[in-house]
Amino acid sequence: MEKISKPTEIKHQLGHMEVDHYHYTVGLAGERFFTALREEGKLLGARCESCGVTYIPPRIYCEECFAELDEYVDLGLEGEVRSFTIARIDRDGRPLDPPEIRALISFGEDTTDLLHLLGEVEPEEVYIGMEVEAVLKPKREREGKVTDIRYFRPIK
Amino acid sequence: MKEVAVVGAGMTLFASRMMETGKELCWEAAKQALDEAGLSLQEIDAVIMGTAPDAFDGIHKKGENLLDGAGGANKPYMRVYTGGGTAVMTPIAGWWHIASGMFDTVLVVNEEKMSSARPHAQSVFAHIWDPILDRPLRPNLVWIFAMEMQRYMHKYNVRKEDIALVSVKNKRNAVDHPCAQLADPKITVEDVLNSEPMALPVRRLDISPPSDGASALVLASLDVAREICPDRIVTIDGVGWCIDTTMWTNRDLAFPKFLARAADQAYRMAGIKDPKKEIHIAEPYDPFNYKELQHMEGLLLCEPGEAAILTREGVTQRDGRLPVCPSGGLLGVGNPIAATMGIKVGEIYWQLARKAGKRQVRNDPVTGVCQAWGDLMQFSSVLVMRRR
Repeated sequence: MEKISKPTEIKHQLGHMEVDHYHYTVGLAGERFFTALREEGKLLGARCESCGVTYIPPRIYCEECFAELDEYVDLGLEGEVRSFTIARIDRDGRPLDPPEIRALISFGEDTTDLLHLLGEVEPEEVYIGMEVEAVLKPKREREGKVTDIRYFRPIK
Repeated sequence: MKEVAVVGAGMTLFASRMMETGKELCWEAAKQALDEAGLSLQEIDAVIMGTAPDAFDGIHKKGENLLDGAGGANKPYMRVYTGGGTAVMTPIAGWWHIASGMFDTVLVVNEEKMSSARPHAQSVFAHIWDPILDRPLRPNLVWIFAMEMQRYMHKYNVRKEDIALVSVKNKRNAVDHPCAQLADPKITVEDVLNSEPMALPVRRLDISPPSDGASALVLASLDVAREICPDRIVTIDGVGWCIDTTMWTNRDLAFPKFLARAADQAYRMAGIKDPKKEIHIAEPYDPFNYKELQHMEGLLLCEPGEAAILTREGVTQRDGRLPVCPSGGLLGVGNPIAATMGIKVGEIYWQLARKAGKRQVRNDPVTGVCQAWGDLMQFSSVLVMRRR
């Protein structure tokens, strides 16, 4: 088969997807979570008593039993690393300095995890079970987004 | 093959739901359906999800994204998608999950969130067309339908006034639906005929609105249904589906032959020999007013070209001999594509179970048919239900 080295030389039609952007709704429980994060610097979860599960971020329903959840609990800013991975180069192969450390943060046995970044720590020092705390942006910079948390850092 | 019953249905308000996520809408509808069935999520064996192109919500694999709101976590779960035809196709998938003997209880959840894509959901429809032959000519859905409507009116000599009557009937019927987006108790034929031109002959009030919403059904084997809701046994007695050729330019635009095949399949399974006499209520897909007429004909409920006459004579009104779209349909309740299951399958279930409240039809129907239409405008799914 002939190898096509210049796709523009064969008959074709150029096209593009016409949606210019999406408006992603955070949802009813998301409103509570991101408002509390922005205004009060708190991380809220929602507790299902019958299943013994706490969801972070909170939800309006329990996915196990479908109960309506309206009890919001303050989970504090401290958790521990349940798993992590380290990126040292970006997708174009350029070095990342410092390397980016992504981690799953656990807030307790019966609580779902939060995906975030680790900071103020060398990659070699990270371990599963490491106790960490959230470092928030100053209130005036917070926008009600997951990036209002800068990263989690080890508790000294 | 096991017999299958519908034991619960639920749906959300159809509107631009900017506050809720798609998952939250799923949960709201699914919870209602489970509550009506008197079942808990733990008692559900498998879950079917129906939702239209990922490009509406802007989340690839959105069936999997929605699954926890649909109650699918840690259960056999599958997404079924045939565009607009999804509204009746997911219940068919639910039916075969039970009819096969594999499961006793199935939760079917359909969701659509068309408000996410900007500037408009039409931008998503813009690239369903063939990229070589259609797209360079910048087609949109409305002008394709304008051509189909034109062929239909021409071939069967159907008057625009009679087609407009469908919008009037459905938008008035929708006044009694608690989930309705575009109900209008005072709408007249003149309002429809004089509404803003879109792509003539199609005008604004000939079309259903884009919408957000979710709907759900609980299906059970007949044995389980007799235990949990002996007061209302509504069974799925026939299913059918069929698709026409890829290119819309190569189809009979006046008569939907693919639908007639799907309907024939469903009627044969249900033992129906003369649908004109044996079907007492119908919920054909009505995203445009002329589509209700064309679909009545494709469903073999009357002869080609006759649906407009039946409509003019009042036969299809809620108190008529053959009530059609007593829910208010897509024209009146709204068109969150897959979620229209609630006003097609849900409505026939509620009507046969005598649970339709203010919308209850007068002829106490025993056998009903519902239909959805979609994919690249050439697919239909058909479901026949009976009260036992």
